[in-house]
Amino acid sequence: MKKKIGLLLAMLAALVMMVGVFGNPTQVQAADNSLAKIQKKGVLVMGTSPDYPPYEFQATVKGKSAVVGMDVKIGEKVAKDLGVKLKIKSMSFDSLLVALQTGKIDMIISGMNPTPARRKNVDFTHTYYKGGYEIVINKTDKGKYKNKDSFSGGTLGAQTGTTQYNAAKKQTKNTKVKGMTSQSDLILALQSHKLDGVAMEKPSAEAYVSNNKQLAAIPSDFSMSSSATSSAIAFRKGSTSLVNKVNKTVDQIKKENLVKKEYLPAAGKYLKTNTVNTSMGHYWKAFLTGIEYTLIITVCSVFFGFIIGVLLALARLAKGNFLKSLLRWIATAYVEFIRGTPMMVQVMFVYFGLGLFVNLPALTSGIIAISLNSGAYVAEYIRGGINSVDIGQTEAARSLGMSNGETMRFVVLPQALKNIWPSLGNEFITLIKDSSIVSIIGVTELIYQSNIVRSDTYRGVAPIVVIMVLYFVLTFTASRILNYFERKMQHA
Amino acid sequence: MPKPVIEVEKLAKSFGDNAVLKDITEQVNPGQVIVVIGPSGGGKSTFLRCLNLLETPTSGKVAFEGHDLTTMDTKSVNSLREKMGMVFQGFNLFPNMTVLENIKLAPMKVKHADDASATKQAHELLQRVGLDDHADAFPDSLSGGQAQRVAIARALAMNPEVMLFDEPTSALDPEMVGEVLNVMQELAKDGMTMVVVTHEMGFAKSVGDRIWFMADGYIQENSTPEKFFANPETDRAKDFLSKILM
Repeated sequence: MKKKIGLLLAMLAALVMMVGVFGNPTQVQAADNSLAKIQKKGVLVMGTSPDYPPYEFQATVKGKSAVVGMDVKIGEKVAKDLGVKLKIKSMSFDSLLVALQTGKIDMIISGMNPTPARRKNVDFTHTYYKGGYEIVINKTDKGKYKNKDSFSGGTLGAQTGTTQYNAAKKQTKNTKVKGMTSQSDLILALQSHKLDGVAMEKPSAEAYVSNNKQLAAIPSDFSMSSSATSSAIAFRKGSTSLVNKVNKTVDQIKKENLVKKEYLPAAGKYLKTNTVNTSMGHYWKAFLTGIEYTLIITVCSVFFGFIIGVLLALARLAKGNFLKSLLRWIATAYVEFIRGTPMMVQVMFVYFGLGLFVNLPALTSGIIAISLNSGAYVAEYIRGGINSVDIGQTEAARSLGMSNGETMRFVVLPQALKNIWPSLGNEFITLIKDSSIVSIIGVTELIYQSNIVRSDTYRGVAPIVVIMVLYFVLTFTASRILNYFERKMQHA
Repeated sequence: MPKPVIEVEKLAKSFGDNAVLKDITEQVNPGQVIVVIGPSGGGKSTFLRCLNLLETPTSGKVAFEGHDLTTMDTKSVNSLREKMGMVFQGFNLFPNMTVLENIKLAPMKVKHADDASATKQAHELLQRVGLDDHADAFPDSLSGGQAQRVAIARALAMNPEVMLFDEPTSALDPEMVGEVLNVMQELAKDGMTMVVVTHEMGFAKSVGDRIWFMADGYIQENSTPEKFFANPETDRAKDFLSKILM
């Protein structure tokens, strides 16, 4: 089961609590009108991490990329029984719990298992599926390995922080256990013989084996409690009426064995269509979307980051009365704080933290966070640039009757800009690459798309090579354009 | 008696503990060419820069056409600065603009002149300083003398009533001093009110209406060139003249 209670989550939980101090979100102990609220809204937002076939994954449906899988089928059934529409929001598994707590989504169906730790923070329905674990090996090793105990002296792989990772660590002897974040990376490591086996859930293992003729699966024989092997739907804490209602649906699914009879086969169909053509060219649309979003994020962030940077730089150079000193102090504190915290945390803060007050879409949140971040760096470049312009330039402009602002705008800033152009260019090119960070909140930029393609095609390296080339094309083009303008600015 | 253009009253300026200007009370009448001379470090440049408030006086009053600049709001100071063109020792041309753009910038941005009339005026001014063929050149391709003439043209573009010159020839090679002084002389002939800080005694003698001899933060002597150079009154001035004249 996916069970990443990582450091990230702990960090975010702390953040959410911190935000909660000065603007208490209402969800926790409010009167339970959860069912009525959803029905009134008419839409049920399902959060999922579509990199986990056959539970949920991205596939091309009628020419469009869509999230499919057995969990999606369950989500559709739940929504139908509630009489509302289903909306699917994709994000990384790490982000799901926070997204639920901050109201970005209404429920999680993402192969999530109802562990006691999670129960403290969310309400779970009855379990809708009970899986088990298998170990995927190279077919050539078939016969060599029988179960978890056969790997003595070898190396087993598993997704970091998951139940199977912990089980592999605790329930094997003389076996090294290597954790990685992505399932497709693990398979890749297996095929390049860095690992001898990969522990994963049964449906996943079966999907990999049936799609890759060089792989085979053997039973794991891990001893597991049932809460660690089954999946349930998560709702916000205190949603008793909603959970009770959805439990009826879950019970029906179990009674009629819908998962095995209908949902898994339906998911398998997409898996088959997926594997018909796993060439990278087949996925050009996915990559194109990635480029499109990477460019949107970069261009918007460069634009707003520059404006923020100029304003911050001017604020940092403000001298004079108390108000100006205060302004300078705030700007300095801002720059120091932004430069002193990771951009990834800032992105999550804007999306989840500010999400408590205003519901910002992931793309907007990403652009805001990166602009705010870039602004701090640009501000320092600009401040340096302004200081590098000879004071005589300002005096000449002022003696001609130009105001402080006019002098800045028409005389100092153009020259400062010319001086710092190479550093600014650097910053913009860095931004193209840094925009990849917003993949963690589910913006479909290049990295996100490549991960989708990787889990879709079961090919580990090719998508990485493709986006490497794409990133290079983007940054190289950008640096050519910047050089062109730099030459244009060099007079005589 | 015409109304003075600039009146300075009990002007003092200190940088920290260093009192550069101590107590200056003088006035400049329309059409006058005032030449400020004196030993280095005597406060000449600081005095000139106090006239258009590039330096804020520590105390005292600087009035332009009867308006006290030291008590004015920033906006009014800006608009009075238009009327006092200034030429710097280091030219301070805008290096990222052509000669023409240098001259057009302030009229267009401050006075909101349209491009056509600003261009026309710029060309006229460049003809006046003999540099119209360099209109599209960038400042770093000009010689020092040419750059300073462009700087004068740039200051004139705002149609100032007074021109302040802060050692305009000190940074020039000797053979280029003449071309700049000639332009200044032409200006004086046309009736421009000028305050010139310079070490060019020849210019002071032939063009100046009044000589202000400045040393130790005071204006020690205020007299005509004839009288000053022939018969200086103070020992300080005598000492100064004995050092610079052969």
